[in-house]
Amino acid sequence: MLKSKTFPSLVGILLLLALLPFGVSGYILGLLTLGYYTAVFAMSWDLLFGFAGEVNFGPSFLIGVGAYTAGLLNHYYTWPIWACVISGGAMSIIAGLLLAVPALRLKGPYFGLVTLVAVLMLQNFIVLFAGITGGEIGLDLPDVLAVDDGSNYWIALAFMGVSGLILFGLSRSAVGLILQASGQDAVQAGALGFNVTKHKLAAFCISALFSGLSGAMLIFYEGTVSVGTVVDIAVGVQVIIAAVLGGRRTILGAALGAVFLIGMGEMLRPLGEASTFVVSAIALVTIMFVPGGFLGALLHGEKR
Amino acid sequence: MKASVRLLLAASVGAGLAAPAMAADPIKIGVIAEASSISGAAIPNAAKLAADEINAAGGVNGRMIEIVEYDDHNSAADAVRAFQRASSQDHVSAVIASYVSEVVLALEPWSGRLKLPMVTPGAASDVISHRIHDDYAANKYTFHGYMASTFLSDSVCDGMKAIAPNLGWKKAVVVSEDAAWTIPLDEEYLKCLPKIGIDVIDHIRMSPDTTDFTPIFNKIEGEKPDVMVTGISHIGVQPTVQWHDQQVPIPMIGISSQATSSTFYKDTNGAAEGVIYQTISAPDVGVTPKTLPFVKAYEKRFNITPAYCGYTTYDEVYYIADAIKRAGSTDPDKMVDALEKTSFVGTIGKVEFYGKDSQFTHAIKVSPEYIGGMLVQWQGGKQVTIWPNDIANAKIKFPAFVKTGGN
Amino acid sequence: MKFLQILVDGFAISSLYGVGAIGFTLIFGVSGVLNLSHGSIMVAAAIGAWAMAGDLGFGAVGGAAGGVAVGVALALITYTLVVRPIQTSSRIAREEKEIFVLTGTLLWGIMVQEALAYLFTSNPKTVRPLIAGVVDIFGVRTPTQEILTALISWAAIGLLWLLVNRTKAGKVLLAASINPRGLTLLGFELPTIYFWVWALYGLLAGVAGVLLGSFLGVSSDNVGQLTASAFSIVVLGGLGSVTGSLIGAYVVGYLETITAYSGAPSIRTVPVLLLLVLVVYIRPQGLMGRR
Repeated sequence: MLKSKTFPSLVGILLLLALLPFGVSGYILGLLTLGYYTAVFAMSWDLLFGFAGEVNFGPSFLIGVGAYTAGLLNHYYTWPIWACVISGGAMSIIAGLLLAVPALRLKGPYFGLVTLVAVLMLQNFIVLFAGITGGEIGLDLPDVLAVDDGSNYWIALAFMGVSGLILFGLSRSAVGLILQASGQDAVQAGALGFNVTKHKLAAFCISALFSGLSGAMLIFYEGTVSVGTVVDIAVGVQVIIAAVLGGRRTILGAALGAVFLIGMGEMLRPLGEASTFVVSAIALVTIMFVPGGFLGALLHGEKR
Repeated sequence: MKASVRLLLAASVGAGLAAPAMAADPIKIGVIAEASSISGAAIPNAAKLAADEINAAGGVNGRMIEIVEYDDHNSAADAVRAFQRASSQDHVSAVIASYVSEVVLALEPWSGRLKLPMVTPGAASDVISHRIHDDYAANKYTFHGYMASTFLSDSVCDGMKAIAPNLGWKKAVVVSEDAAWTIPLDEEYLKCLPKIGIDVIDHIRMSPDTTDFTPIFNKIEGEKPDVMVTGISHIGVQPTVQWHDQQVPIPMIGISSQATSSTFYKDTNGAAEGVIYQTISAPDVGVTPKTLPFVKAYEKRFNITPAYCGYTTYDEVYYIADAIKRAGSTDPDKMVDALEKTSFVGTIGKVEFYGKDSQFTHAIKVSPEYIGGMLVQWQGGKQVTIWPNDIANAKIKFPAFVKTGGN
Repeated sequence: MKFLQILVDGFAISSLYGVGAIGFTLIFGVSGVLNLSHGSIMVAAAIGAWAMAGDLGFGAVGGAAGGVAVGVALALITYTLVVRPIQTSSRIAREEKEIFVLTGTLLWGIMVQEALAYLFTSNPKTVRPLIAGVVDIFGVRTPTQEILTALISWAAIGLLWLLVNRTKAGKVLLAASINPRGLTLLGFELPTIYFWVWALYGLLAGVAGVLLGSFLGVSSDNVGQLTASAFSIVVLGGLGSVTGSLIGAYVVGYLETITAYSGAPSIRTVPVLLLLVLVVYIRPQGLMGRR
């Protein structure tokens, strides 16, 4: 794929999407809004896994830190939304560095476990200090980004567009290639003279920053911050599924997978409780038979 | 695919034929609850039951009531999404939402932002109505259709005042789950129990994620109280079973939401035997003439007795319909005015709401004249009422392992 | 008194954790699979036992047996329907099999969990105890069920030890975990071995699930927690090491019990998580890990 061609077409797609509020019901806009924030989660995860090769089982650790930082600042100090979101992103970078330390030492399932533990610790911490954090089910926020569906949609779309272009650009740049090389074979990449540690640290910070920002934005869309939306393991699972479903190492596929998952979950709502079952089944069949994900299948056909 | 095409055809044909005969569009009421839990499932069930009855009797000014169900999976975020959908896509006129305080507290600002009247059939936190009192203009669209936590504690204390002397209860430990609704509940327990002559010797809050209650029971037993006063809703089966299996000799009384449903006995393998819980309606007591017929119809249709929020939901559908009738429209502000003037005898008693001056704005009035509490005990697989005395139909009876001073 | 109490209660819960975890570690040892649907298999076995003992009228013993059978069946289905196809798929690159098996079993676990919630609601269920009542152990009032839990757990562990160390099939199993390639040269079919390992795993997970169901009660909401706890125990003990997993189970079980008894039941799992992070940093291969 040529860079010169991809970027204009991406911008074109984004502009087309920006026209949706003129023709589509508020309900679909609401779904897409949620899908766009989830898309940023999934793209951030893909940067870390697909490119830096780090199996992060706990994307919701980074998301949750950003979201709760922003939520607490807004709830207790009524900071303006933008200040809360930026603070959330900054705290997430610190969380990302915290995760990066073991990542540089550990491999495979061990690092995976540490990320899982990080989520559980955060969850325990939030529940333990329920008096401040609102505990198991959450904290309501005095401010929201917007009340009407159209504005919320445009904010989310713009946020996803900017984040997506940056993440995608990064993945296609020299930095992305070095990351990919060090993700696949760190020793060799190091032997070639690349500073693997520095690049991996950068990947952690960038992934954390966008996860945190998106987490913070999401809670100001919903007007509530809760363990169930931004911390729970299930949230992380959804992000991972979205990225794998859409196609790893593509960044854009992750976004596609996220929107698909959210849309599918809602389309199957009439099935009631069985809807999660069906969505999981579809995802399972997809990864088993089309392991490259949607975008992988689209770009490369079936070859691997 | 085929089926949906056929359905579409049928619908358009049907609409074409029936249009002149139909008086108006249906009135939609959204129901948001966690479908897979005992308490949550009672909410849509009871709502559908009430809607069908109203429709069979001709609807509201000829308009049918339509219940639109949403499953919130006990998540505040899912509930907010459902609420937004109910407002912008399904155009419902009112929402009946959840038995979980945290969920209702997350929805309350949205009820104001989207000007969509909402009634909760089962959440208890005092904060729900305090917020309406503090910022009436923003939050007036929310109504608290169930007893606020403080009233729940008071009701438990009232009941205990009557039964404690015979049982020799003098020292209690308050045990509740860590959640929004138990904060005011515990606060009031700590105030009202000493007033009835019962010392609170310890106060334990448990994480709703707890699965092994052995250490907690052991600690309590070591403190030698006469009784445990509970505040549990998200948890219920596991502590009850472990209490029974470990033969903890201390009786349990208080709020135990899951125990209000008839499936509780089966889920606990009968360990519920002897548990006493506070409620506002029981399956065997005609609080009003409407209670027993409702329970009978509910059991017939769903094969279980309604959980506590089934009674309140059933009533809510009726008084929302009534408010729409009186308001003459589904305009949210007119509906709020009409709901505030509600005076409706339902299955739980006489429903009226406190006004702006009360700390508990838009919460249902609690007193024997309106809605009073009662104590129910599981005995031999049945829920029997043991207090107040005028409606009690059984005497308190504990399993052999429970020790009480009095008898 | 409190010390005795911790000793008794910790023992039962630790034994239970042990049975749950050794199956998990066995599969990893033999076939390199981390089965993230572990919790759902345990819960399915428990709910199966509950339904059969209650509604279907099989009685307490019949129900327990039926629950274990559900565990075995589900483990085999997991292997044939999810794990095996991913392992043999030519579309998935070798270095990516791991993440695909993880994602696949995770999704499968969610499907089982949702199916259970749909069919039996997410309300906790308790399996009818085989023997009701309590026994006094040095002044600690212990439910008979708790003693039975520990006994059955250890019987299962003992049988597994006999199987691995005293039978031919066990030796093959052991060999498979050390050098699978060498085993194929000797004429053994790896898929057949894997199949039996999964059956064995299902048996262990089923027993653990039914015991958990009758001791503490389970709900479909516990699935994630159970998987995470088995994963932690196994990493603590050393991935693939059965002895390590048993030691890990006792460390976790007692640490949790001590925390809970020292007046902080709500932070029950926190010290375990801290210990885990510490061990992973200092000794990533776990207490008894060999790689």
